[in-house]
Amino acid sequence: MKDTQAQPIVEIEDLRVTFPQAEGSVRAVRGVSLALHPGESLGVVGESGSGKSVSWMAVMRLLRAPPAEVEAGRLRLAGIEVMQARREELTELRGRAAAMIFQDPMTAFDPVFTIGHQIIETIRAHRATSKRAARAEALDLLERVEIRNAEAILDSYPHQLSGGMLQRAMIAMALSCRPQVLIADEPTTALDVTVQAQILQLIKDLQDEMGMGLVMITHDLGVVAETVDRVVVMYGGKVMEEAPVVELFEDPRHPYTRALMVSIPGQEGGRRRLTEIPGASPDPSDPPEGCPFHPRCTQADAQCAAEEPPMAVLGPGRRAACWRLT
Amino acid sequence: MSGPDRIPPGAVPALELRGLGKRFHLRSGGILRRRVTELRAVADVDLVLPRGGILGLVGESGSGKSTTGLMALRLLEPSEGQILIEGTDVTALGHAALKPWRRRVQVVFQDSYSALDPMFTLAQVVAEPLRIHGIGDGASRHRAALDWLERVGLHRSYGSRYAHELSGGQRQRVAIARALILEPAVLIADEPTSALDVSVKAQIINLLQDLQAEMDLSILFISHDLSVVRSLCDRVAVMFSGRIVEEAPTEAIFTSARHPYTRALLDAIPVLDPRQRRRRTFRDRAEIARDVPVLRRGEVTGPVPEGAGPRLMPIGPDHRVAAVLEGEAA
Amino acid sequence: MTGYILRRLLSVMVTFFVVSVIIFLMMHSIPGGPFDGGDMPVPEAVRQKLNAQYGLDQPLYVQYGRYMWGVLQFDFGVPFQSPGETVLELLGRAWVPSLVLGGLGVLIGVPLGILLGMAAALKRNSWIDYLASTVATLGLTIPVFVTSMLLILVFSVWLGWLPSSGWGEPERWILPIAAYATIPMATYARYMRSAMLDTLNKPFVTVLRAKGLSERQIVFQHVMRNSSIPLVTVFLPMFIGTATGSIFVEAMFRVPGLGSYFVSSIRTRDYPLEMALMLMLTVMFCLAYLISDILYAWLNPRIRHGGKQE
Repeated sequence: MKDTQAQPIVEIEDLRVTFPQAEGSVRAVRGVSLALHPGESLGVVGESGSGKSVSWMAVMRLLRAPPAEVEAGRLRLAGIEVMQARREELTELRGRAAAMIFQDPMTAFDPVFTIGHQIIETIRAHRATSKRAARAEALDLLERVEIRNAEAILDSYPHQLSGGMLQRAMIAMALSCRPQVLIADEPTTALDVTVQAQILQLIKDLQDEMGMGLVMITHDLGVVAETVDRVVVMYGGKVMEEAPVVELFEDPRHPYTRALMVSIPGQEGGRRRLTEIPGASPDPSDPPEGCPFHPRCTQADAQCAAEEPPMAVLGPGRRAACWRLT
Repeated sequence: MSGPDRIPPGAVPALELRGLGKRFHLRSGGILRRRVTELRAVADVDLVLPRGGILGLVGESGSGKSTTGLMALRLLEPSEGQILIEGTDVTALGHAALKPWRRRVQVVFQDSYSALDPMFTLAQVVAEPLRIHGIGDGASRHRAALDWLERVGLHRSYGSRYAHELSGGQRQRVAIARALILEPAVLIADEPTSALDVSVKAQIINLLQDLQAEMDLSILFISHDLSVVRSLCDRVAVMFSGRIVEEAPTEAIFTSARHPYTRALLDAIPVLDPRQRRRRTFRDRAEIARDVPVLRRGEVTGPVPEGAGPRLMPIGPDHRVAAVLEGEAA
Repeated sequence: MTGYILRRLLSVMVTFFVVSVIIFLMMHSIPGGPFDGGDMPVPEAVRQKLNAQYGLDQPLYVQYGRYMWGVLQFDFGVPFQSPGETVLELLGRAWVPSLVLGGLGVLIGVPLGILLGMAAALKRNSWIDYLASTVATLGLTIPVFVTSMLLILVFSVWLGWLPSSGWGEPERWILPIAAYATIPMATYARYMRSAMLDTLNKPFVTVLRAKGLSERQIVFQHVMRNSSIPLVTVFLPMFIGTATGSIFVEAMFRVPGLGSYFVSSIRTRDYPLEMALMLMLTVMFCLAYLISDILYAWLNPRIRHGGKQE
């Protein structure tokens, strides 16, 4: 379904997000550029503190400013200039142009209203429909995310449902206005393993069916391998590498991506020591000079510590920021 | 005085659970229609953790795996069954009699942040078990704590820092140091790597492997993550709805799992190769619960346990699965 | 829900009984009686006759039994300080100013406090936030009799705009009501602010924004409803605060309400009036508990519809 010739649906250029603090500002995102084409699925992989979630919160204008300071050379989503968006454009942007689902479904719903109420209010925030018509639509949506007793779930309160059920309901709510892009921020991390696989399959199916763009934000390379077309690897608030998913797994070019892949447990049988990445993620209020990964990189030299590596284009849809690229 | 120090090492398992079970009573309804429902959180758990072994206890939320861990620690009273530490039944021991055995079994939880007292320096945190058990004097305890910080990969200078200054991985190292400073026979690790970043997870798994080898430690590793279990454990027991449904050497679980729930868990592991993507179908829990494996007599490799309904039957070297025999009602 | 309310009513009755015994015993354990000493010593024979007439020479449990039997029929006896009427009649008369004072005080103070707290939470670290915090802190720390004195000093003595005491004409109501309203206002400003900030930081608020709801919709439909749940639990402590405060306010402004009689009944050992007032307070507290619990349950679906389904 992807159409790389067309105008990108999301364009991010040199995005920077800073949270000023008394002792040194936290520089969560430090110059991120990327694009998403209509109907395409993009995986954004990174560990905590990599800036992966914050970038997309900024795209949805969900960071409270202050404290957040957001700057970007360009930030466009479905034709909306995000930074300049006024009230009506924001309503258009959120929910209709792009919808977002979050990590912990247990805290994502207002505890004092029913699931149905919360889906219906979403529909009615974007379209003038009667409550009755919106309820019928909500019922449809719940059935679409494979909830069997949809009628009962509609009248349930969040605390009465399991995490997996709530995540399905959240997806239904996100899809209620047929968004052009679905941003899924660690949508399976808080769920049980067997439920995780089901939710991933559901998101994939719905993306195909509705032809929407998908941004899958995750720490888990396995999730990326299962769901997306293209991957951006982030570290220390920057993009380290970008590649089509097959190429990324077959030929990772950035030392961080490679280290990450070999450190995943359970790839081979037998009890064994894993290849670990020494050290810890950089402190976002005091990021290292040069390449953010150099203190943990086995190939780093003086240049890596002194100068920031430029983003090098390695082929169609492939780029990486590293001095030691071979 | 039959203290743990008297037990000679040998074939005696470090930890053994026999028929362990836990029932909770739930109250619901009003004053007139009060109902008490009994919930069997854990039932009939038999587990043997041999000395020097790492046993994975795998399951999802509500499977009873953490409840089992808490009972093994005697932090939760079992409703039935026995807990044996190095061959001694400690199920009924009172507070004072239990104290020397508490030294032998220590624990690390997933959320080490809330488990580390924010008011204590890390040296104090790590030395605390020594203080509680009245071992050594202040100076020797402090020295031991710094030694242990070093042993888990933190610089000695961390001794004067506080928990909030650390990253998640570092905190988990401190929690491990505190658990092991008493040189226990058994470490119960309840999802110790689940909250950690990918790059740090491998560090902690390696640390546990190293310490296990150095100390001849036995580890009960409770986790929902089969990938981590595959790299760390010798044996795996899978729990489903409060019961063990399959138990086998780790590779046997990965290559010849027999129980539908074990297969569902294995099937849910993401494949790290995008070329092998496939459309998956899923079965719900109720369906899995109904699908009890049926064994032919010839498949059972040892004595068939008595009783009716699904029970753990031997089907290979060290491999047991909850099943019924052909012709029996499930 | 009905079962829940019935159970609560039962516990209110038990509380009422226990408290009545305690109050009765406490009052009779204070040395001295209404006809002992004071400004005009009563001759011994007269004192004994009076004690007998009022039943004060009987054993305590008899006195208690008789008293409670009367109470159940709304007979609280005759107040010693004004024997021309029954306690019930006196209370019926004294109710009105207290009700006006307390009712208007709460009616004005609570919404003002809520508005102040909301504005403070929505415009965090702005002047309105600092104003709200100052008002809340002052209102909760300065004793109400000091507030009353300040009000009298400023508006009656210096400016001469308003009368300093008495009841009757509505302009006499303004100062006592203002003094009285400070407690609910300060309490609610403080709790509303922290409850709103707490709710605004919940993950579901981000979800509401992400799905395109307007900020107004988020605040008025979701944040308000969630923030009002803890406010209901604050109602009771606030009620106690204002009820005890009313004694001082009425005394300061010489309002002929329950508070004034409360003070005078203690001073003169007026057992029947004292007992009646205490029991009334008990009933009011119990009802406040009951109402706040029911409201809490009604607002919170976790209590209203307990348990998981599926």
